[in-house]
Amino acid sequence: MPVSLSRRQFLRGCSAAIAALAGARLTRLAFGATNAPNREILVVVFLRGGWDALNVLPPIAGADRALYEQARPNLRVAAGGAGGALSLNGQLGFHPALAPLLPFYQSQKLAVVQAVGLTADTRSHFDAMQFMELGTPGVKTTTSGWLTRHLQTAANLPPDVLFPALSAGGSTALSLLGTSDAVAMSDPGGFRLDGYWGLIDEQRAALRDLYATTDPADWLRLAGTETLDTIDLVEQSANGNYVPANGAQYPGGSFGDNLRAVAQLIKMEVGLQVATVDLGGWDTHEYQGDSGEGYLAERLQELALGLAALYTDLDGGCGATFAQRTTILVMSEFGRRLRENANHGTDHGHGSAMLALGGSVRGGQVYGTWPGLATGQLYDGYDLAVTTDYRRVLSEVLVRRLGQPLTNLGTIFPGYAGYTPLGVFNDAYAPVPPPAGPHSVFLPSVSRNAGQTCP
Amino acid sequence: MADRVRPSRRQALKLALTAAGAGTAVLAGGGWPAPAPAVWAETPGAAPAAVPLPPLGVIALNRLAFGPRPGHLDYATFDGMAGATPAEKLASFVDWQLNLTAEGSECTTRLANAGLATLNLSLTQLWSTYGADGADRVRPVRDVRAATLIRALYSQRQLYELAVDFWHNHFNIYAWDYGYASLTWAHWDRTVIRAHALGNFRQMLGAVAAHPAMLFYLDNYLNQVAGFNENWARELCELHTLGAENYLGVRDPMTVPTLSFPGGGNFPAGTAVAEGYVDNDVYEIARAFTGWRVEDGWWPVAADTGNFLYYADWHDKANKFVLGRYFPNSQANDPQRDGNDALDLLAYHPGTARHVCRKLCRRFVGDDPSDALVNAAADVFIAERFQADQLRRVLRFILLSDDFQSTFGEKIKRPFEAAVGALRAVNADVRPELDGFYWHFDEIGQPLFEWRPPNGYPDTRAAWLSSVSLLKRWQFVNSAIEGWIDHWEAGVSTELVAIDVVAQSAGGGNTANQLVDFWISRVLGRPMANSQDRDRIVQFLRGPYSANAGLSTDHQAEYLPRAVALLLMAPDCQWR
Repeated sequence: MPVSLSRRQFLRGCSAAIAALAGARLTRLAFGATNAPNREILVVVFLRGGWDALNVLPPIAGADRALYEQARPNLRVAAGGAGGALSLNGQLGFHPALAPLLPFYQSQKLAVVQAVGLTADTRSHFDAMQFMELGTPGVKTTTSGWLTRHLQTAANLPPDVLFPALSAGGSTALSLLGTSDAVAMSDPGGFRLDGYWGLIDEQRAALRDLYATTDPADWLRLAGTETLDTIDLVEQSANGNYVPANGAQYPGGSFGDNLRAVAQLIKMEVGLQVATVDLGGWDTHEYQGDSGEGYLAERLQELALGLAALYTDLDGGCGATFAQRTTILVMSEFGRRLRENANHGTDHGHGSAMLALGGSVRGGQVYGTWPGLATGQLYDGYDLAVTTDYRRVLSEVLVRRLGQPLTNLGTIFPGYAGYTPLGVFNDAYAPVPPPAGPHSVFLPSVSRNAGQTCP
Repeated sequence: MADRVRPSRRQALKLALTAAGAGTAVLAGGGWPAPAPAVWAETPGAAPAAVPLPPLGVIALNRLAFGPRPGHLDYATFDGMAGATPAEKLASFVDWQLNLTAEGSECTTRLANAGLATLNLSLTQLWSTYGADGADRVRPVRDVRAATLIRALYSQRQLYELAVDFWHNHFNIYAWDYGYASLTWAHWDRTVIRAHALGNFRQMLGAVAAHPAMLFYLDNYLNQVAGFNENWARELCELHTLGAENYLGVRDPMTVPTLSFPGGGNFPAGTAVAEGYVDNDVYEIARAFTGWRVEDGWWPVAADTGNFLYYADWHDKANKFVLGRYFPNSQANDPQRDGNDALDLLAYHPGTARHVCRKLCRRFVGDDPSDALVNAAADVFIAERFQADQLRRVLRFILLSDDFQSTFGEKIKRPFEAAVGALRAVNADVRPELDGFYWHFDEIGQPLFEWRPPNGYPDTRAAWLSSVSLLKRWQFVNSAIEGWIDHWEAGVSTELVAIDVVAQSAGGGNTANQLVDFWISRVLGRPMANSQDRDRIVQFLRGPYSANAGLSTDHQAEYLPRAVALLLMAPDCQWR
């Protein structure tokens, strides 16, 4: 089965000679290059609809606790105790439905960034998502997403990468707009073309010729070729029944399925560098659940179980370093209003929260500055303010984990200047380890599960 | 009706739905395949590769219809239109389509035979029957879904069906929610979307605002003076009328410049109205719609009919300030005036004309329509704003424009069009009234009425170019051609898609060259864009034989259906 070049390689100016080597490269990539260094992976989980950050991370002490309780007589999460918040730092706590994530916070694999978000003034879902995923707050006409510009400028991306980007699910995420590198896939096992047994191979070969092109502007044929490449790749790489490692149990539903697909592709070692996963259902204008129970709690539980399963699945075993090389970011387009509405829900707000999970995250901490909930401290008099630009967190991932030089940040986030790291991630490229202190454990050791069988 | 879904229970059932707002709900909801595509910006991408401009008939059949259906509505139909030039034939075709009132006997017969009992029921009939305890609350959605496919496949009113599809997406509702949308869906489809798809925008907007499906989906049925709910007001401004391009963000409304209003409702021509909207307008409009709810038997309302209810006790009667206009205290004798005035300001606003026309141009012309075309169409939209067939006139203007006639291949068919187009191209006999059909159809990524956020399925090529999307549309073709689309019930299989490619090839010759050219002409109405693509399909079809050798009946039976499938999967069949 002929395998064409990756689109990336193709667009960079391919030659027929390279194309002839593609088959060999595929095999090496798929089966040979396990644990290659600098193969960092970023998984971006986007919570669509604007999650209620103030109930995800309720204040549990001080004057803001009283303000929170006043503003949310029905929706408030108790400050502690059974069914109450799980303290993170004495000031903020996790919503109790995030309990599956607490062990990761405690073992310093999970970090929280508070009051983070967009610097642009908007309470529109669609504007806010575009601004965030394009990486250009205030500008919607940008023709590529921030992840695309990362892939286009990444100097350390191995030239033989076949499969640098994945959108788990049916369609390519906006952050990957403008690249023909990204593959959208919900289930590697189902990524195949079925037909009449006697002619399906001939059909596929013909289809490849129909979609062959040497024109970089021939977007339809490029996408078709990418699709056929992926079919070939999956056919040669995927084993039929994927079994998550360490007994990881993904929650039922598309979100769990998509995370499992991400883990499977990471382990296939096909050069995956960025993956996006969407989870919807956060636009809680009504009946989101009183006292921390109900609808929002169910959403949070699914999120927490999914993230916990993904980390567990990637965590060690057989000398692999997947967990150390994978960073999972959780973000949403905005948070919700401090004051609950009359329908036991919350309307669109501003400041949000991000989660970072991974073996190279300096977890166990809440990063960023808390802006306060007094009226004068609120954004536009209503909402949690933004004290950390979301691009600051993304920039740090790009620089410290994915190896982007500082000089590329202006291309990836046009108009964003003055980046300094918050310190959420260990710097994989620093000549010396980061200073000791609260982050004394920054490269967790990998333990093999007892009884696990390795090849 | 005490038992009908109380909010908490309803919420659990709804899952990501109305509240899913902006989100792609990638959750599997209630056992239905969840739509997977992410939310897409309508953002221009790279310049498209040049696709040769085909004859006007090809543009018309692939953009104003779900593709040609050979022998029924095809390229010969277009060529037979009155007129000496292709442009004149296009005008005749457009006028014929826009004024057709009959779906055709084949379509009506198929609809009648499909057993779609809910299609013509009144709102109250639907409400009482399908809202009853234990009733099949989603039956009306299933019926409308089947009817929509039957009409897309077989109705003579192809352009009307595309307009209906456009407006269903413009006023998108996730139909499968158990609240008030699924059980009233036949009424929403019939009296809101279909009744106004070529009608008057303001009238359609009024019908939308008062329908239980929308009142529920965007939460206005709960909107009350005690604390307004902004969900409906925000999407009304951002998606249904002015559009995000006229959203000025969090800003003092007194600083927004005004424009001269064209006139309409209680606002005479020349009234100074804000150019765009700010957050404060959203809140004021939300207040204007407080008390717009549903007779749902929910305390303290006893009536339980599903009809619209203006509930004065919930209405915020205090002054409002909307788009630069002052709304005095509501008058007792015109209790809905706040809401209706807001709808007038929005529906007749020039920003709305441009927003709606840009979307129409994006649908019917290309991803990035010219400002000149959009503005000219918006002028028609405004000039005809009181006409009962305003939208028909606007559509006609767009379809007869130079831009329409001089562009092709800037976008690809959406999965719904691609799947229906493939079935029409081979004269498939389809029975979409049985669920088995959707096991295959929904896989292509555009299940009807299942897009959860309120913005409707995306309409740019970038959104549908993903590898999984292409793979699934290819797979649908193969599944249909191979006869794999069936319905299993009680151990019995019913074939839902029957296609006889060989029988339709009678008169198409018997060599690979002849047969491929016959099918290219039949399906594409033009040569393939790349001649080597045609040769490649010939190579596939001839097998070990010469391209000019007469192929045996056995060889044709084995190879010809798969060769036609290949043609339907080719790039030429995706462009529109």
